[in-house]
Amino acid sequence: MSQTAAQRFLHDAAVKSADLMHREIIRRGMDSYDVAHLKGRARIKDWEAARQKCQEIKREAVNHLDRYLLQFEEKVIARGGHVFWAANGEEACTYVKNLATRLGVRTVVKSKSMVTEEIHLSPALEKAGIKVWETDLGEFIVQLRDEPPYHIVTPAMHLNRGQIAKLFREKLDPGIGSDDPADLMAAARRILRQAFFAAEMGISGANFLVADAGVIAISTNEGNGRLCTSIPRIHVVVTGIEKVIPRLEDLAVLWPVLATSGTGQGITTYGTLIGGPRRPGEVDGAEEFHVVLVDNGRSQLLADAEQREVLHCIRCGACLNICPVFRHVGGHTYGTTYPGPIGSVLTPHLNGIKEFKHLSYASSLCGACSSVCPVKIDLSHHLLQNRRNATEAGATKSSERLIFRAWRYAMLRPRMYALGGWSVRKALRIIYGLGLAGSILDPMRVWNRYRSPVPLPSESFRARWRKDLGAN
Amino acid sequence: MAQTSKAQTENPSRERILEQIRAGLRTVVPEPPALRSGQVIFEPINNPLERFQQECVGNLMECALTADSAASARQLAKVLQSLPEGEAFVQDDPALRRLIELAAPARPIRWSSQGAPGEASQATVTLAEALIAQTGSILVTASCGGRGASVIAPCHIVYATVAQLVPDLASALSRVSQERKLDSNSFACVISGSSRTADIEKILVQGAHGPRRLVVILQTVT
Repeated sequence: MSQTAAQRFLHDAAVKSADLMHREIIRRGMDSYDVAHLKGRARIKDWEAARQKCQEIKREAVNHLDRYLLQFEEKVIARGGHVFWAANGEEACTYVKNLATRLGVRTVVKSKSMVTEEIHLSPALEKAGIKVWETDLGEFIVQLRDEPPYHIVTPAMHLNRGQIAKLFREKLDPGIGSDDPADLMAAARRILRQAFFAAEMGISGANFLVADAGVIAISTNEGNGRLCTSIPRIHVVVTGIEKVIPRLEDLAVLWPVLATSGTGQGITTYGTLIGGPRRPGEVDGAEEFHVVLVDNGRSQLLADAEQREVLHCIRCGACLNICPVFRHVGGHTYGTTYPGPIGSVLTPHLNGIKEFKHLSYASSLCGACSSVCPVKIDLSHHLLQNRRNATEAGATKSSERLIFRAWRYAMLRPRMYALGGWSVRKALRIIYGLGLAGSILDPMRVWNRYRSPVPLPSESFRARWRKDLGAN
Repeated sequence: MAQTSKAQTENPSRERILEQIRAGLRTVVPEPPALRSGQVIFEPINNPLERFQQECVGNLMECALTADSAASARQLAKVLQSLPEGEAFVQDDPALRRLIELAAPARPIRWSSQGAPGEASQATVTLAEALIAQTGSILVTASCGGRGASVIAPCHIVYATVAQLVPDLASALSRVSQERKLDSNSFACVISGSSRTADIEKILVQGAHGPRRLVVILQTVT
């Protein structure tokens, strides 16, 4: 029998959290993020006001999504661009694939886009015989490893320089001697430069779609996004419908807040705005400009009064970075395009609550994610709501329902509850006494397999309360 | 509208998605109170020039303050001399024609009117639409030598004057809106430093796919 997503999650989480090298790499990466993030936040005079402003901008946009998307579309079409509305991933992939085939595209250069990961665009193009180059350094690395991105902002943060140098030697050039990050970047640059100049099509995502100006906004540091959108003769933007914002001036706060939350920078190196194909008289730029607006389940979230705000997400990755669960189990364990708290909230909506409800439990509900979210999405409460929704939808196992029914029964009958507690303490004492802690016979196996058992109390809480605790 | 029928055949899901969005939006979501007016998000900028210079340091870009066009030309010549052999791509603009004439670089010049910069360009020289003090950024559009001018070569040199300084991003963006820059240009970019990556072990590497050096020659007198 094949594993369910939940079984695979539990298995991978156990393996990854015991992988000391993985933990060390993530700890170091997150430590340097933490320092940069706090320093970045200190540069903004009123961080809370900035968060609230961003929340208001996104709320305004999402609450009038149809109007702003149409405004954006009209502007782009007026400049000679094309806008395609894709109900799902398949429609989006087919559109891009047909476009590429029709225009004789053989090579595509891509800048980082989580939406293209979500709809599996690259495999679709490669199946049609088109070579696809990921050009963001982190994406390039995970593409060479045939892996999905580990993190939505830093796709290769689970690897150290030694592993990357080895990969480059195997896949690119056996002559790469150094594992210095600067030399590895230079090696990738050399190879990808050829791709940029050979490619007929550049595919990018968009961080924002600006309605009043009718432009897409892309934030990048490496400049690969700039090259993808400057050199090839066709530029295709693949993005989610929720990325629209009302006004160009909104970027004056969204750009710094996105950069601060994403990497701790005051602003990302390149904030690029593109509104259409190359105009007559311009030196360069794509002759064809296409924007693919992907719905893929997003519009359904609008009707959810509790969780509509999940569409405010600007994909900065701050909730992943702070999440104690992400820091231990890592990005790949989630088995989803979007890992971490935002992924755990979003995935059941996009891919089905039944298969992905377990992600709602991959959280201690500590609330750290809600506290850092730059657009103030109340992630931890949404995880709790998803637990409730899964239960109400009958997505829980019958054994789980039975256990909770028994627990409820006992909770309402103090004597029964005391008896239950007493027998469990007795039984565990015998099992532990026989040295069977963590074995298949241990009901606490899930915990005790990898940890020493928590010492058993000699008496019940109720007994202790009666004796001394209650007296204070 | 003639476009409607064409849009429908090319865009079979468009109406359905819009319908679903509208249906979803009929659900009323209570709104929390809005931001109190008068709350200041960013520190006000008192001295734009000083702030710009500070931010340039933070962004790992070079800013050379010059008194007049002769000094700017000397600065340009100095930067160009420090680079490996190869052509320089220059935005075809009267001000830059004059500057190049004064600087008289020994290397071949390719003007933007002759086409886009090639892969072999060692440097690009362009103007900017504005400089932003708050973030130490330069604002360029397609008019500044095109899209590739600020990203293809390993060194990007920007010739600007102090009069082009605006205090913050908000004022730069509202100027772009007011002057309808994005209707006359298919591209604009706010550039804050040279290209970089921290994708390997979060270690900063300056010079990724774009320029390793971004040099602003900032002239005080026009």
